[in-house]
Amino acid sequence: MPEASILIVHPDRKTQRVVHRILGVTGYRIEIADQLEQGMRLLQHVAPKLVVVDGSAAQSPQAAAFFEAARARGTEACMMLLGTAAIDQVPQILDMGAVTNLLVHPMPVLAEELTITAHKLMRGDLFGVEKYLLWGTDLHEITITRASQRSHVVAGLSESIRAHGQSARVASMTMLVADELISNAVHNAPVDAKGHHYRAEMARDIEIELDERHHVRVRWGCDARYVAVEVTDPFGSLDRDTILRSLAQHDVRESGGGAGMGVALSYRSCDHLVFNLAPGKRTQIIALVDVRYPPTERIPASSYNVFVESSP
Amino acid sequence: MTDTRGRLNIDAGQGQWNLSGSIDETSALTELLSRAQNGVLVLDLAGVTFINSLGVRDWIRMQSEATRQGIAIELRRVSEPIIHQLNMIIATRGNSRVTSFYAPYACDSCGREESQLIDVAANAVGLANLVAPSITCPECAAQMAFNDFPERYFSFLVPETPRPS
Repeated sequence: MPEASILIVHPDRKTQRVVHRILGVTGYRIEIADQLEQGMRLLQHVAPKLVVVDGSAAQSPQAAAFFEAARARGTEACMMLLGTAAIDQVPQILDMGAVTNLLVHPMPVLAEELTITAHKLMRGDLFGVEKYLLWGTDLHEITITRASQRSHVVAGLSESIRAHGQSARVASMTMLVADELISNAVHNAPVDAKGHHYRAEMARDIEIELDERHHVRVRWGCDARYVAVEVTDPFGSLDRDTILRSLAQHDVRESGGGAGMGVALSYRSCDHLVFNLAPGKRTQIIALVDVRYPPTERIPASSYNVFVESSP
Repeated sequence: MTDTRGRLNIDAGQGQWNLSGSIDETSALTELLSRAQNGVLVLDLAGVTFINSLGVRDWIRMQSEATRQGIAIELRRVSEPIIHQLNMIIATRGNSRVTSFYAPYACDSCGREESQLIDVAANAVGLANLVAPSITCPECAAQMAFNDFPERYFSFLVPETPRPS
């Protein structure tokens, strides 16, 4: 069995070196390829736990075969790095349905996000919004015990964010994301033994008392870099492919408002959306809203990560 | 007198209906169409602070039904949360016409951020070229800068060209 490693496929030498330095701290062996073809050849000899690919690869006719080959070799996560110049490729990347982690970044690369992602993958320690916030950040926690609590929690969250000095825009984005994530956790997450989502079709304005098995945990905090909202349900019924399909609803622009729109809207309303999945046990979604820069100084696209806990 | 549906309030104004609060699963927007006068429903949306995906669905239903009934919808003083949805989801636009809307501005000089009202007709030429109108900071009188990407924020004003099939 080949040694677990990380494979970087990027045509730019400087970016290769920067990513190598960042990921080198994980202690895993780093393999580097300039192009997908070279990466494909390397995959015959290595079994990377993580592959990191430049966003321009989305246009390559070999991209799908590369990701398929990586998966066949046991790769748990395919991360794509996307610089400012390649933002218009986001729909194409989402359509591929194979990229589990998209890191939109200013050049050369956003070290902190890459490091967090790599550590989570390599250590298998996925859960918790703390990983995205600075040390010492206060986290507020609320347990949702009835469906109607959603609107009160969302309104309270908005007021609290404004009271912390954040702008109306940040409060508005956070409200939207929190509302969608809580609604998803209360209504879409619960499944019975046959996998039937028994609350998905229930009207959202009907009151439901949630017993302990259905409680939803909401945590949020702000460290002056991000407002972060974490929503956790105890079902773990959301799967990777459903998420990637929902994110790919770039035609949310033409949507009539069907299922999955909540995830698509959440993705487009925050700067970074993180899915931590423990199948059959729990689903945790973390939304990060960047409060450091005005909208015009940021990249008009969002990052996402889909992490799936390995079975023991 | 205020008609309250869930978290949405509807008040009669001068030839228009003023909406405020949140548009969500409880809003029953299609019922608003019965308040149209001479085939026109005028909605003032300055007070709408929030709309979720269920509210968006309700909004799209209202737009579809308005088209079916031949009712024209005029949207005045549209708040930023609604503008974001008009930009993200084409179906939310229906056949409605936006006559004025709020847009984010920031002052580089004093740091003030504010939503400013933009009249579509008065700024038609600039908006057609995706140029944000000039705004003076009410606090320090410096020039405020438009605080979003114009090609993204003003895209609801641009007629959508059909995508190639």
